[in-house]
Amino acid sequence: MTDIIPVQRYVGQSVKRSEDQRILSGQGHYVDDVQLPDMLHATFVRSTIAHADITSVHADEARALPGVVAVFTGAEIQALLNPSAPPLAMLPGLPAPVFTILATSKVRLVGDPIALVVAESRYVAEDAAELVEVYFDELTPIASTADALDPNKPIIFESEASNVLPGGQDATSGDVDGLFASAAGVARAHIRQHRHQNVPMETRGLVADFDRESGMLTVHSANQGVTMAKMILAGQLGQDADKLRVLCGDIGGSFGLKLGAGREDIAVCAASRVLGRPVKWIEDRSEHLIASGHAREESMEAALAYSADGDLLAIDVDMTVDTGAYPGMGGMITGLIQQMLPGPYKIAGSRFRSRSCVTNKATYVAYRGPWAAEVFTRERMIDIAAKELGMEPLDLRLRNVVTRDEEPTRMVTGPSLASVTTRESLERMAEIVDLPAFRTRQAEARAQGRHLGIGFASYIEAAPGPNEGGGGGIMGSENMRMRLGTDGTVFVYTAQMPHGQSHETTFAQIAADEIGVPFEQVRVIVGDSDTSPLGFTGGSRAATMAGGATLHSSRALKEKILDVAADLLEAAPGDLVINDGKIAVTGVPVSAVGLAEVAAAAKEDGDLEVTTAYDGGKGGWSGGTHCAIVEVDVETGHVAIARWIVVEDCGKLINPA
Amino acid sequence: MNINLTVNGQSRTAEVEPRKTLADVLREDLDLTGTHLGCEHGVCGACTVLFEGEPVRSCLVLGVQARDHEITTIEGLADSSGALNHLQEALRDSHAFQCGFCTPGFVMQITALLQENPAPTEAEVRAALSGNLCRCTGYETIVNGVLAAGERS
Repeated sequence: MTDIIPVQRYVGQSVKRSEDQRILSGQGHYVDDVQLPDMLHATFVRSTIAHADITSVHADEARALPGVVAVFTGAEIQALLNPSAPPLAMLPGLPAPVFTILATSKVRLVGDPIALVVAESRYVAEDAAELVEVYFDELTPIASTADALDPNKPIIFESEASNVLPGGQDATSGDVDGLFASAAGVARAHIRQHRHQNVPMETRGLVADFDRESGMLTVHSANQGVTMAKMILAGQLGQDADKLRVLCGDIGGSFGLKLGAGREDIAVCAASRVLGRPVKWIEDRSEHLIASGHAREESMEAALAYSADGDLLAIDVDMTVDTGAYPGMGGMITGLIQQMLPGPYKIAGSRFRSRSCVTNKATYVAYRGPWAAEVFTRERMIDIAAKELGMEPLDLRLRNVVTRDEEPTRMVTGPSLASVTTRESLERMAEIVDLPAFRTRQAEARAQGRHLGIGFASYIEAAPGPNEGGGGGIMGSENMRMRLGTDGTVFVYTAQMPHGQSHETTFAQIAADEIGVPFEQVRVIVGDSDTSPLGFTGGSRAATMAGGATLHSSRALKEKILDVAADLLEAAPGDLVINDGKIAVTGVPVSAVGLAEVAAAAKEDGDLEVTTAYDGGKGGWSGGTHCAIVEVDVETGHVAIARWIVVEDCGKLINPA
Repeated sequence: MNINLTVNGQSRTAEVEPRKTLADVLREDLDLTGTHLGCEHGVCGACTVLFEGEPVRSCLVLGVQARDHEITTIEGLADSSGALNHLQEALRDSHAFQCGFCTPGFVMQITALLQENPAPTEAEVRAALSGNLCRCTGYETIVNGVLAAGERS
């Protein structure tokens, strides 16, 4: 009989997703699938005007409609909340203007919630919402950042001195003025990017279920982090944290949107608490499009100084962000942009100024790398500089990108660039894109009146980012708990809250390999504030940080399992191996016992449980290079993508499709 | 109104308001929550079910219109033991979906396509799925899964 040798069997394999059995057979459990006895249905009366004083709200007719249980005005909801709650922000602690949860004295965007209708059915609730009459005195809308910067226009939030939020960036790193003065040329551009929207297939929603007898509020939600949602809800509602539980099932996409707690979430929880019945609110698509939040409306005045040889010297960007109304992200995004602006290049000077303007538009929310304006701006400026220099844009990048073993190994703005692999991704891109062949094709097309173009962009992302001071990159360490169940199941409690990322599969692959159990013996537990460690899904950290947390937690748990098994098998832990869920003395496979037997042999609670915080090890950057080859119809402006090439540093692939 | 209808081969009855959509009747009255609502105005395709074998948007059909008709939903595809059918298996093998919210609509739309055309070309697959939106995947893996299912059938 041959020896049992633990092998990696799952990581790197195209393992079928655990999620797919339920998702493909209609057995997924999304928030709108929650049906509770006596459940009521909520809908919101929303503003049809961007900026106005509310003169009166008339809800008597709506309240009288059969099937309507309650109609709450803004003032009535406010009276049910914690009067000393901090301003509502997307992440706890970020500065935000003062506003009420539903609009009370004024509305600040189309879609601003004014009243909450609760009825026996959604159909009746919507009927009643139409009966609520709201009277307004219209104010001049602040429709653009230019309006917001105009001191003669009305101020949207009474708590603020202007429509520009405090906390703009103004930072200079290196001798920017000297570098610009010495430059052979300066590329300049005004870059604007339009609003984007997350638009997950599943809109926002929740079911708030308050139990009068126990005082317990259970919130069924769809949220990227149940512990963070709980923290914000508890603060806003004045609900004791031990009487609040946030649960989450499957989530139909989010892309950064479903974070923290929305104004609507707080109002629905307050309604359930006062009515003593479960209340469901599922946003409809129209509400979603106008009121759930928008992203990325930003403009940049950018300048990039270069030498005659093609050395990139210094970058200077002045950025204006349209945060819409009810801003909740503060200066977090522009702070990141300021730091990341030089990217992986040997750029010796960087200046960044920014201002975030409040307007009467949908709230600026996180969306797929909300700080990505730094990439778009810098890389566009490099392409413009290449054109001015008569250089291939790829060559200009290769000339200026950092090399891992040469100075500088830091961005001039501070962060370490240790382990960055942009150079490798550019070199690989150069191999894939046959630039001389493209230039020939481009010239031929141009002779026929067709316009082909090529663009490059390299990015790096702090996932986890350099491990300097505190560890875990900019978002801190990744928390995890793991334990061996009595039946031998390995339970992984992650702070991540998957909404399409397959964490139940990928973390189980890692744990199964590290401990030596079949994939099916690992269960990844998510979405319960009673058991989930503190954290949330965001910042592209799941694979690197939570994957790393799974790896290290698995090793720690395995050590504990071996300690218990050593007593059971009367052998030294170092002489034991775990393979396929069985523990045996090396070389003596007949000695094998199952993990359930080990679990039964544990003497103390916690003998087979670990709680860890993974700091990301040495840290490092995720990143890659993209290349787009497009054809532009100069008559219509239509852009057809002919080819899009991505070179991404994926590290070790966990589950290649 | 009291209606009788056949859903996934079973005779069902429901007491429904005339204005209630088939999607809401399936989800709320018949407890078949596999059919998802993404837009409620016929754009996204998430609520697609088969009505007498033809794909329809259940958000644009009233429950009462289904009276005495045969409806198939996503719950009707896997067999009673829960084993996925060959299309579902092919989609699983190709890692077709991520968050799963659009999935039931896609699977029902593809079921109708493969009934009519058991081995579609890529262009036919893309045309048949042009009315179904997915925000996670970029569609490539879904199309691959359908093509694989077509080759298997």
